[in-house]
Formats: sequence, C-alpha cells, structure tokens
Amino acid sequence: MTVNRDFFVAVFFFVLSAVMFVASYWLPEPMFGQLPSWTWPRVILVPLGFLSLILVMQSQRGGQERVELSELGRWFKENVNPFICFGLFFGFLYLMPVLGMLLGGLIYVFLTLSVLGGWKPRQLVLHAGISVFFVFGMWAVFSLALGVVLPEGTILRVY
Amino acid sequence: MFENIALAAPELFTLNTMLLMVVGTVAGLLAGAIPGFTIAMAVVLVLPFTFSMSPVQGLATMIAVYVGGLSGGLMSGILTGIPGTPSSVATTFDGYPLARSGKAGLALGIGVWSSFFGGVIAAVILMLVAPQLARIGLEFQPVDYFSLVIFALTVTASLSGDQMVKGLMSGLLGLLVATVGSDVVFGQPRFNFGVDVAEQGFAFLPVLVGIFAFGRLLGDVKTKEKAHQPLGGEAQVVHIDYLQAAREVLRRWGNVLRSAGIGVFVGILPAAGSTISNILAYDQAKKTSKEHEQFGKGAIDGIIAPETANNATAGGALIVMMALGLPGDIMTAIMLGALLVHDVIPSPSFISDEPKIAYSIFLAFFVANFMMLGLQSFTLRGFVLITKVKLYMLTGVILFYTALGMFALNNVFWDMWTLFIFGVVGFFMRALGFPIVPLVLGVVLGRIAEARLSQVYARSDDIAVFLSRPWSLFFLLLACFSLVFPTYQKQRGKAAWTRYYPTALLIVMAYPVFLMPGSVRPVVAVLMVLAGLVMAGYQFKRGSVPQQSK
Repeated sequence: MTVNRDFFVAVFFFVLSAVMFVASYWLPEPMFGQLPSWTWPRVILVPLGFLSLILVMQSQRGGQERVELSELGRWFKENVNPFICFGLFFGFLYLMPVLGMLLGGLIYVFLTLSVLGGWKPRQLVLHAGISVFFVFGMWAVFSLALGVVLPEGTILRVY
Repeated sequence: MFENIALAAPELFTLNTMLLMVVGTVAGLLAGAIPGFTIAMAVVLVLPFTFSMSPVQGLATMIAVYVGGLSGGLMSGILTGIPGTPSSVATTFDGYPLARSGKAGLALGIGVWSSFFGGVIAAVILMLVAPQLARIGLEFQPVDYFSLVIFALTVTASLSGDQMVKGLMSGLLGLLVATVGSDVVFGQPRFNFGVDVAEQGFAFLPVLVGIFAFGRLLGDVKTKEKAHQPLGGEAQVVHIDYLQAAREVLRRWGNVLRSAGIGVFVGILPAAGSTISNILAYDQAKKTSKEHEQFGKGAIDGIIAPETANNATAGGALIVMMALGLPGDIMTAIMLGALLVHDVIPSPSFISDEPKIAYSIFLAFFVANFMMLGLQSFTLRGFVLITKVKLYMLTGVILFYTALGMFALNNVFWDMWTLFIFGVVGFFMRALGFPIVPLVLGVVLGRIAEARLSQVYARSDDIAVFLSRPWSLFFLLLACFSLVFPTYQKQRGKAAWTRYYPTALLIVMAYPVFLMPGSVRPVVAVLMVLAGLVMAGYQFKRGSVPQQSK
C-alpha cells in the first residue's frame, strides 16, 4: 500500500463522513411528519464516503509518490508565509474583544506587512504609514460614513 | 418589456447611481488589470460598500465592477503579456505580439471595442432571453429545482477534468458545510457540537470570500520573492487608437457575433465561465479564419474573439441567475448574495415580481459597457502606476479589509471567524489539488437544495417523482451524461463508444422533452431522435474502427 497525499486526504474525508453520519443520529426528531433534519446530511454523507473509498483506490493506482516526513517538512517550509499570516489573523480575531477593530487592525496590518515585506527601518516606516492610512481610512469609512458599529475593544471603550 | 425599462430607467439614471457605476467601472478595470487579482475578488471587496445603498444602486455598482473587471484584463495581457484575469488568457496570444510590433494602441483599441460589442450583444440577449427563460422556470416544481441543483453540481465537478472525483467530493463538502448550524425546515440546531455560536451556521458570503479571496491571496505570497514582486510587468502608457480599432472590429463582424454567441452560451452553462469561453472563442476564430497562419503573431481576429466572448459570458451567467435564481459561477453566486442582502430573493418569478430591480440590472449591464469604453484610457494611467506596488502590500491591506467587510455584512463577529476558518480550508483544498468552484457552489446551493427537497417530501413521499416529472428527469439524465463527459473527452477518437456519445445524448434527452406539455416540445423531441439516428447511421457507416487508430 502506498501512503501518498491522496491516500491521507481520502482517509480524512472517510473519517469525516463517518463522524458526521454518526452525529446525524443525535439530531432531534422531526415535527409534523416533515423532512427529518438528518435526511439531507445523510444524502450527502453516503456518496462522500463512497467517493473517499474511490479516492483511496485511485491513490493506490496513480503515479503519486510516497509521502516522506522530510517532504512534509519542506512543504511547510515553503508555505511558511501563509501559516504566519493565518496565525496573525487568528491573533487579530482572538484579541478583537480587547483591542477592537481599529487598534487590532493597525497592529495586524503592520505585523503582516512586516512579516511579508521585511523588518528594515525604512520598510518599517513604510509599513507603519500604509497601516495607519488604510486601516484608519477604512475604519472611518465604515464607522463614520456607512454607520457600521465596529468592535471598539475594551481599551478604546468610551462608556 | 419597454414599460418595465421605463419603470427601471428613472431608478437607475440618477446622478448618484451613475457616479457609483463610474467608480465601480474604474475599480473593476484596475482590478481586472492586476495579474493575480481576480474579478470575483474585486466584486467581493465592493460588496460591503453596497450594504447601505438601495438594491438598484448596490447591484448597478457591482455590475459595473464585474464588466470593468472583464475588460481590465486586456490591459496587462496586451501590454505586458501577463493576463490580468484568467478570462483574458487568450487575448495575450495575439494582443502581446501585436503590441510588441509597435501597434500597442491599436491592439488595446481592438480589445476595448471587442469587449464593448461582446457586452452590448450579451445585454440585448439578456433582456430578450431572461424573461422567456423565467417563464419556463415557472413550470419548475420543487422536484425539478432539486434535480437542477444536482445537475449544476455534477457539471461543475465534471469540468474539473481528471480531478472529477475530487470535484464531486469538493461539491459534496460544500453541501455539507451548508448543513451546519440549523436545519432549513424548522431551524433546529444541527452539527453545532455544543458550540452555541455555531448554531448561526456559516453565512455563505464569508465562506465564499474565505475560500476564494483569503486562501488565494496567501497562496500568492508563499515565498519572500513572490511577496516582493510588483503587481504587473513593465507596462507603459500608450495612446489607444479608437478609430482605427473600431474600423478593424466592424470589418470582422462575423467573428464578433460568433464569439458573442459562444460567450453567452458558455455563460449559461453552470460553472463554465469566461475562463473557458475566451479560449473556446479563440479556437473557433482560428479554425474559421482565412489568415489562421497569423494567429499567435498578432492576428486581429485573435484579439477580437476572446475579448468579445469573455464580456458576453457575463450576460449568459446573468440570464440563468435572473431567470432561475441559481448562480452558475462564483460571480453570480456573489451577485445572489448581494440580492439576498437587500432582501431580494431571485427565483423564476423575480423578473415579474420585481421588474424595477430586474430591469435595472439589465440596463446597468448595458450602460456599464459604455462606461468601460469611455474609461479605459483614463484607467490605463492608473494601471501603470499600480503595477509598481508590491504584492505583499496589497495582501496585508486586503486581508484586513475582508475581515472588516464581512463583519459589516450582519454585524456578527462569528462571520469573521467563518472567514478565517474557510480561508484555511480554501488554502489546504488548493494545496491538495481540490477544485474550489464546486465547493463554493455546494455551499451556495446547499440550502436551496434542502429547502426544495423538504417541499418535495411534504408533497409526496414517493421517490419516483424524481423520474416521473419531465424536467426533473431531464436534469438528472443530463447530470448522468455530464458525469461521463470527462471520460468521453479523454477517450474521444480512441474508444469506439465515444463516437456514439452525442447520439446517445440526443436520443436519451429526447424522452423527457417528449413528455413535456405543449405541442412544440414533442416535435423538438422527435427532431432530436431523428438527428440522433442520422448521426448514428453516419458513424456506423464510417466503420467500427476508431478514427485515430486507423
């Protein structure tokens, strides 16, 4: 058996379908003889599980190479920028109740630009300028012009 | 029709709306010109600004961005050889060589006029066909709709080519995502696994933006080198030769009409957008041209065909969305989202129930093409400036903006988490070779499909209704054929059975058409059978040995 990328994906989808299928048994009973809430998910999950099995078979037939641990490490290394950006975005959302959209946005955009663009003093000044201009600009457009109540965070809360 | 146009015109032709459309067209032209920045992304970014507008203003602005984006791709394609959007890939084949031969102004002019004619022809077809198709749509019952959704998903998956299994899995995953939160019929919690906030489910716009924009942007800045790349190549401002270009395009009106027809037809097909139509039209133009040896070296027909087709595709996609309320691609899925935000629910009765909005959309599509024509020269200067910006700067700012925009959608914090979750999902799906479009359409169509299924269930518990209703049977049979289509394409000319695929398609599809009411459709069905038999006879006469193996 070749343990390649598609094999892992297929197993993941098969397990997902199985878990969701089991979870569909916990759903509440229908009322008034209408369509039970589990019917549609099961209509989806059965073919999804079946297709996962087909993908397992395809993964064994195809010319994909075996996944080595070093390959996986290299892939993560090649994609380090997106992972850092995801991490920063997670932090931005997680700290939103404290920092709010304005402060959080300024810090988030500045950090993202610096991670992707570099940390030299000139670059930092440029990134700070871009962050202030765009974040403050968009915050002003949405909160002042469009009247959207954006999260202000505990730091900037005025009441 | 004319009274509806008269009803919509005062709503659309206001100073505010026209100004918004001008801004939208410029934004679309610039976004379309930037390689790696898709039109869908541009429309998504404009969407939050439309929340506070009236439905007509909001939709007109988005249509302006859409039309601008479709035409913007030609600027970078012709001047730098890098297509601004996938819909202008074929434009570079001849546009760039013509520009390099010192006729950049003429090449741009031809592209602009072709886009204009493609858009205008599609706008006329849209106005004439959409109301008629909506009338047919009124015949649809929930069971037919459900089958239509299944057909749309199978076609989308089949367009994934070799990756059809992954395409189908992607579509099913999208449908599954749409089940999370609460069920459609009673709103009972479903698959929230004890997380209260998950009861809200995943709003489809944050899902769509997460998968499509978020994942893609991060994919573009994977390495430091890529992140530091400027947005465009070495573009220079040139003078667009409008007059000479118009003469050249009008002299080739046959190519314009054919390419517009291809564009509209491809637009009507689910998931087959301008990415496909521009190449198809280019291929047809090359086959039929008397100067086909000039193709690839700066042939004028080679610029006209893709640029006409990609703008016409937008009209085709809007026909289906307006007439049946079903999105056929990412762009119309976003449009559908915008309509829902403004409490407008597209369905076959949409055009007759909301003539003001519907005809405003038709008119806006028409007007946007004129704006695009006038604003191209002006935008060209902006494009040359923007090309100097580095990719990472755009990425950082847009990531923040998408979060802000998705929050503004419903003032719900969870929507930003949805954006993040599906950003990660989209990134991994791409990395693992899964097509993204079926996933997005699955999310959009999931709740529609479940609602229709529940209506079918409420009326009857007999599953045979899926086969006894002509339209339902029609779509299910088409879905079956679309599943075989990738194999047919791969094996065509190699396996004997592929010679009988079109014949079988015609004869089998004739059965549900024959069952349809009225006197015209049974006649059409008989003609389909006759055509199928003639084709079968012709193939049989050619012998049983496959053509290419002779």
